[in-house]
Amino acid sequence: MERWALVSGLCGDLDLYEQIQSDLRRKRGTAHLFVLGDMVGPDRNCNDLLSRLRQPKRGDLQPNCIYGWWEEQLLAEHGYRGGQKPEAFDHENEAITLQKLREAVNVDHLNWLASLQFGFIELDCGLIHGSSADVGDQLLETTSPLILLDRLTRLDVNRLFTARSGRQFHLQLNGGTIQSKVKDHAGEDQQEHTVPKRSVIGIGSGANYTLYDPASDHIEFLSVSGRSGRFNLGFG
Amino acid sequence: MAHAVISCLHANLAAFEAVLEDIDQQGIDSITCLGDLVGYGPQPNEVVELIRQRGIPTCQGCWDEDIIDGLNSCECSYPSQLAERRGHQAHHWTASRLTEENKAFLATLPLTLRKDKLLFVHGSPNSQHEYLLPDMNAFAALERVETAGAETLFCGHTHQPYVRELSGGSIRVSVQQKGNQPNTEQEMALPVRRIVNAGSVGEPRHGNTKATYVIHNDSTGEVSIREVDYDVAKTCKAIVDVGLPEVFAWRLSHGFEYAERADDASHVCER
Repeated sequence: MERWALVSGLCGDLDLYEQIQSDLRRKRGTAHLFVLGDMVGPDRNCNDLLSRLRQPKRGDLQPNCIYGWWEEQLLAEHGYRGGQKPEAFDHENEAITLQKLREAVNVDHLNWLASLQFGFIELDCGLIHGSSADVGDQLLETTSPLILLDRLTRLDVNRLFTARSGRQFHLQLNGGTIQSKVKDHAGEDQQEHTVPKRSVIGIGSGANYTLYDPASDHIEFLSVSGRSGRFNLGFG
Repeated sequence: MAHAVISCLHANLAAFEAVLEDIDQQGIDSITCLGDLVGYGPQPNEVVELIRQRGIPTCQGCWDEDIIDGLNSCECSYPSQLAERRGHQAHHWTASRLTEENKAFLATLPLTLRKDKLLFVHGSPNSQHEYLLPDMNAFAALERVETAGAETLFCGHTHQPYVRELSGGSIRVSVQQKGNQPNTEQEMALPVRRIVNAGSVGEPRHGNTKATYVIHNDSTGEVSIREVDYDVAKTCKAIVDVGLPEVFAWRLSHGFEYAERADDASHVCER
C-alpha cells in the first residue's frame, strides 16, 4: 500500500507547495496527497496556489483538498456560509485581516472552495482540518484524552488526522476503562466500557507535514528543508 | 432539599397537572423544567401558561426552539420521512395556535440552567437536539458532562427516564512528538459524574403510559424516578378533536413511540 502525504496551512504559498511536491517526488512510494485546509490566508496572494491545486502540473501528486478555518472565514465573508464563529471577532485588527483575506483570493475560486468537503474518511482514518466537532477545533497532544476520544467516536474512526493546531504529534489511546451503572424503571444495569486503541495525529502546518503508511501504521513527521513551520491560527 | 425535575411536557395538560399534583403532595416547592413545553399535544397555550403561572425555571427544548426559529434542523430530528411529515404537521398546528405572548415567552428561555455543579439542559450541553441515550458510549457521555463543567447533568429529550453513574474511569495515552524526543506515557484518572434523564411528562416512551419525572435530593444526591397516572384518554380525545394526527393519540395510549427513536447517539446535529 502506498503512503499518504498530509499537508495543511499553505496559506497561499506556492513556493512552499512546490518544495513539498519536490520532496514527495524524491520519496518513493507516496501516492496520495491530502491538503487539510488553510490553502488560503490573509498574508499573501493565494490565487497562483489555488490555480495550481485545481489544475496540477504534470508530475505533481494530485492534491485532495478539504476546507480549513481560513476558507471558512473567507466563505462567510462572501456570504457562502453562515456568520463567522464568535472567536473570529476577538482581535482588534479583525476588519483589516478580513479585508486582506478577501483581497488575497480571486472570487473565481470561491465556488471551488465552497465545494470542498469538511473532511475525508479513508480506510479507518478521519482526515479533518480541526476535528469532528468543528473546523476551528484545536486538538493538541495536551488536549484531554476524554475530548480526543469523543472526537474519534463522533467519526467512528480509529485514527484522526488533524491540522488546526499546527503541531506534529502522534497520540495513542492505549487503554483504560470506565464503569457505567444505569438505573431505570426496569432495574439496574452495570457495564464496563473499555477504551479502544485509537490515535490522534497532528500533521503540522506550512513547511511541517506528515507521511503516513496505512499498511504499517508508520508515521513520519517531516519539514521542508530551510523552511520554518510558519503557522497563523487566525485572529485570536 | 428535594427538588423536582420535569421535561418534555408536549402540550399535554392533563399529564402536567397530574405531575404537579404529585410534586405538591410531597411538599416539594422547587421545580426545574427541561423544555419541550409544546409539540405533539393539544394544549400548548395552557401548558405554557401554567409554567409561567407557577414560575418554573425552564430551559428551551428543541420543539420550543423550532416554534421560534422555524424548522431548520438537520436530518437527525426525525427517524423516518413519515415521522417527519407528522412532526411538521404538529409544528404548523402548534405555531398557528400558540399566542404571540407565549411564543415570546418560549423565545426568552435559556439553553441551560446551572445550580452549582448541577447543569440542566434539554438534550445535551452541545445541543437541544442531541440524544443522550442510556446506552451511549460511556466515555462520550462523560465527556458531555465534564466538558460542561458539571458533576450531575440533568437532561430530557429521549423521553426515557434513567440515572447513569460513570465512575472508576481512566485513559492511558502515549505521545510521540517530532524529533528524537522519547515517547511520553501517562494515565488520566476520570472523575465520577452522573447523567439524570427526567423522562417525559407529556409523551412517555419508557414502556407504559404513566407520566415520568425525577426527584433529586440536593443533600444526599439521591435521585428517584417517579411515575404518575393521569387521564390519558382525555388527552387522546383532545388530540383527535383538534385535528392532530391520530397516531399521536395511539402512541400516547400505548406508552411508546412507534418506530420513532433516535438510533445514532453519536450523531451531532448540524443545525
